[in-house]
Amino acid sequence: MSSAALSRWSGNEMQRRVSKRYAAERRFKLLGLLAVGLSVAFLAFLLVTMLARGLGGLSATFLSGSDSTDPALAGVWGALKGSFLTILVTIALAFPIGVLSAVYLEEFARRNRWTDLIEVSINNLAAVPSIIFGLLGLAVFLNVLHLPRSAPLVGGLTLALMTMPVIVIAGRNAIKSVPPSIRDAALGVGASKMQVVFHHVLPLALPGILTGTIIGMARALGETAPLLMIGMRAFIAAPPQGITDPATVLPVQIFLWSDEVSRGFVEKTSAAIIVLLVFMLLMNGIAIYLRNRFERRW
Amino acid sequence: MSLTLALAAVLAIAAAAAYLGRNKAAGLRGGGARLNSLPSYHGGYVFLWAALPPLLLLAIWLPIHNALVEQAVSASPAGQQLPDFAMVREAILTEAREIATGQREAGFNPESAKLAPVYRSTMAHYAWIGGGLAILLALAGAAWALTRVRASFRARSGVERWVMGALVGASLIAILTTLGIVLSLLFESLRFFSMVPPAEFLFGTQWSPQMALRADQAGSSGAFGSLPLFWGTVFIGAIIAMVVAIPLGLMSAIFLTQYAPAKLRSVLKPALEILAGIPTVVYGYFAALTVAPAVRDIGINLGVGSASSESALAAGLVMGIMIIPLVSSMADDSIAAVPQSMRDGSLALGATRSETIKKVVLPAALPGVVGGVLLAVSRAIGETMIVVMAAGLAANLTLNPFESVTTVTTQIVQLLTGDQEFDSPKTLAAFALGLVLFVITLILNLIALRVVRKYREAYE
Amino acid sequence: MTQEKQPITTNSAVPFPSTAVAAEAARDDAGIAKEDTAWTDRPEPAAGLAPITVAAPTPEPQDTAEGAPGRAPKMRADSISVFYGEKQALKDVSIQIHEDRVTAFIGPSGCGKSTFLRCFNRMNDTISGARVTGRIELDGEDINSAQMDVVHLRARVGMVFQKPNPFPKSIFENVAYGPRIHGLADKKADLEGIVEKSLKRAGLWDEVKDRLAESGTALSGGQQQRLCIARAIAVDPEVILMDEPASALDPIATAKIEELIHELRGRYAIAIVTHNMQQAARVSQRTAFFHLGELIEYGRTSDIFTNPREERTQDYITGRYG
Repeated sequence: MSSAALSRWSGNEMQRRVSKRYAAERRFKLLGLLAVGLSVAFLAFLLVTMLARGLGGLSATFLSGSDSTDPALAGVWGALKGSFLTILVTIALAFPIGVLSAVYLEEFARRNRWTDLIEVSINNLAAVPSIIFGLLGLAVFLNVLHLPRSAPLVGGLTLALMTMPVIVIAGRNAIKSVPPSIRDAALGVGASKMQVVFHHVLPLALPGILTGTIIGMARALGETAPLLMIGMRAFIAAPPQGITDPATVLPVQIFLWSDEVSRGFVEKTSAAIIVLLVFMLLMNGIAIYLRNRFERRW
Repeated sequence: MSLTLALAAVLAIAAAAAYLGRNKAAGLRGGGARLNSLPSYHGGYVFLWAALPPLLLLAIWLPIHNALVEQAVSASPAGQQLPDFAMVREAILTEAREIATGQREAGFNPESAKLAPVYRSTMAHYAWIGGGLAILLALAGAAWALTRVRASFRARSGVERWVMGALVGASLIAILTTLGIVLSLLFESLRFFSMVPPAEFLFGTQWSPQMALRADQAGSSGAFGSLPLFWGTVFIGAIIAMVVAIPLGLMSAIFLTQYAPAKLRSVLKPALEILAGIPTVVYGYFAALTVAPAVRDIGINLGVGSASSESALAAGLVMGIMIIPLVSSMADDSIAAVPQSMRDGSLALGATRSETIKKVVLPAALPGVVGGVLLAVSRAIGETMIVVMAAGLAANLTLNPFESVTTVTTQIVQLLTGDQEFDSPKTLAAFALGLVLFVITLILNLIALRVVRKYREAYE
Repeated sequence: MTQEKQPITTNSAVPFPSTAVAAEAARDDAGIAKEDTAWTDRPEPAAGLAPITVAAPTPEPQDTAEGAPGRAPKMRADSISVFYGEKQALKDVSIQIHEDRVTAFIGPSGCGKSTFLRCFNRMNDTISGARVTGRIELDGEDINSAQMDVVHLRARVGMVFQKPNPFPKSIFENVAYGPRIHGLADKKADLEGIVEKSLKRAGLWDEVKDRLAESGTALSGGQQQRLCIARAIAVDPEVILMDEPASALDPIATAKIEELIHELRGRYAIAIVTHNMQQAARVSQRTAFFHLGELIEYGRTSDIFTNPREERTQDYITGRYG
């Protein structure tokens, strides 16, 4: 039998077949490499294009100025401050609400129809198109509650509703990964369920929650569409002083400038994109660092 | 007194009461009593009772406050002189409010200047009522809670009940948000459908919402057949973008999980994550400025005379690239969930790696991959900025990717930016479009999430 | 190789599986004797019911653990060491696997026996960070050499895993998968023939012949494992490696698997990893005892279980640790 098998595996036809299979293997692997390469090449192309177009536009006036009809005087400080105030409102609302929801769903909620409904809501909200949140903001915050138009307050509220589900989902995963033995240990020395959660589980889950929060905030920072809906697209020449002042944000500023016909604005748009990308990369970088630094395998 | 001041006062009262409560409890302990809870819990208990009820009151009061003020101003002698026409009236009132709160120096309408002082005094009046109520509530809560500070009192349970309430309240926000979306979309859509029949909206092929310059202008109603919009959305988001994103995303995931050495993977994976983190407005700008002209030139060279610089192809291509990381990471998760034992089973039979992937791993991971693709489609058809910047406004029913098509999201932005008038079908149409978009993405998401969850459970 | 009935010479009063074991042993030895006269292995004694009782054979100098003279081992491992990163999981192990015999690897968990088994068809290649040194031969050929194709190797050295791992495909497709990828059947009828033959050999045919289109994952655990054995047989391997093939199964399914191993012994060289000593005693003719990555003792199963040379083997077998 063994000699028969030997001849079968070393026969010519089998050899040809195997070399064909290995060729297919190589082609498949190459295809995979090509796919990744293409995606990364696109990223590189985009970054290089933006840098080539926009680097010349970065200057002190650009970084300290506000919107202007004259491209030479236009700057991003106003929009940046608007973005900052908006994100501040977003984080102040979305973080506590998101974390508390995650704690409730993961640690306290009994499984019943209500919690199922909450879960479906959250999972779905995380995937609802952002422009729908803009419509919600327009209908509820502006038309029903009469909050000021174009203000970071409304923008932040809208984005908070949008990012909250992201934080809840990240928070639940982080809480879930804390091993039950820690809860048992704390309960064993007589801590209440609430003390277990706030003294032991939450601190251990915090890095995971923060990572999710930062990614959510980065997404909110780059969001444009919902803010267009609530009127943050006005021409605003002065940086906002508070969260109720009319303001614009960086992505919207980019959108507005991209519509300008004047040649000078092409450079300004690319420069503003560089500024935006720097912030995004910074936030994503921090998130990745946090994940790698504090990720714990139990 | 402004409401902000009332807020500060409430917090100050609560802080003071908490201090008193804590000291009282500590004093009990000093007197030799054995406390049920730590003094700080007593303090916390008092604080919560003093601060939370008035805070809730203020949160509810704020929206009512604005409505009450507006009503009172309209009813005032100066307010009754305002023109009846709702739009002008609203504009003047808004200006008056903004002058009164210092957001604006002067209004375009001279009436608003007259109205501003009335506005200011009415606001102050109602702020007094609301703020006063809040402070009274704070004092009452503090007093009541302080009387309960006793050695045997279970302050910790009291605090924990409040915290529990906060937890439940926080998780209800998700339901409220969903409800808010559904109700606001539904409400405005119903108003729209009272003007435009749903059948015409859903199945009509003519889309030209006219700009109504004046409300009484003839022919201002326009045509609201949204079929071309949905076709454009599907064409760009579900067809062109997916043709780009599915093969590239899937192959990237396969390469990264099955072939790439750890070092290469540790570089490429973050690179893909960066691709996912780039704001859509950047993609949109890139599509409009770089990709669209190139696609148009290619189209013209291919002999497509109608090649547009706002082609469906340009928007779809860039959207596809934007979706790659999403498809890739979903596929990555699904492939990783296929048990190693199954892979070993195939390899041990002498299958090559690609044979194992194509014939065992991918079929096993298929439900997860399909779920990921559905999420990606949902994301693509709801994507706004790329199509706003790179796709056109012409509502064409065309199969030619070099021609311009428009999408649901583009039209929502188009209809709702610029000067709005809230009752016109043009503005309301945006909400009807939003409703359809929400329903479609909701269905896609629910199916996708269910498929993915079923799949995960199968291998756990 | 023949599978015809040989006269059963041992007592038939001992209940299953011992009956089968005894019968097998007798039949097998007769078969070997007929085929190869140089082979002078005495009948492997039957393993009785617990406690392990292996009839002490008369020692025969010419049949040592290192193999019978005049008959080359099917596979030969020579000073194999395996490293996972910095950690050494296996230290300088040498062993032979013979055709027509079942070799059992026993030892406490973590002793490296599974790791060692995976060296024989280079499944350790799939574990990143794993490094194997030493030489393993299949019919005298180095399996780690550049000439040896890993695809061929794994087709010739099949493997059955600890947990049944059928593909989420139909029963038919599960078995047909191997022949398909290797192009062993050109016509559909040939493929159907292979599937039927493999399922019959795995003792599964009667149970599944009417539902070949059903998913392999719908079978019971024991059936799944026999399906995996059928899948391995379908490519007609020369060696079958079994990594604790019955550890996830109930006793009845385990008995069926053991019976199957006996039937397969005539056709394939079999190496089996097990933590169950009765099982090793029941199914194997050669036993290797591993401890902490070292091969402590290797020899005839009967010797290992009745008369171990090493004290550690003795301790393990009598249950002092493990």
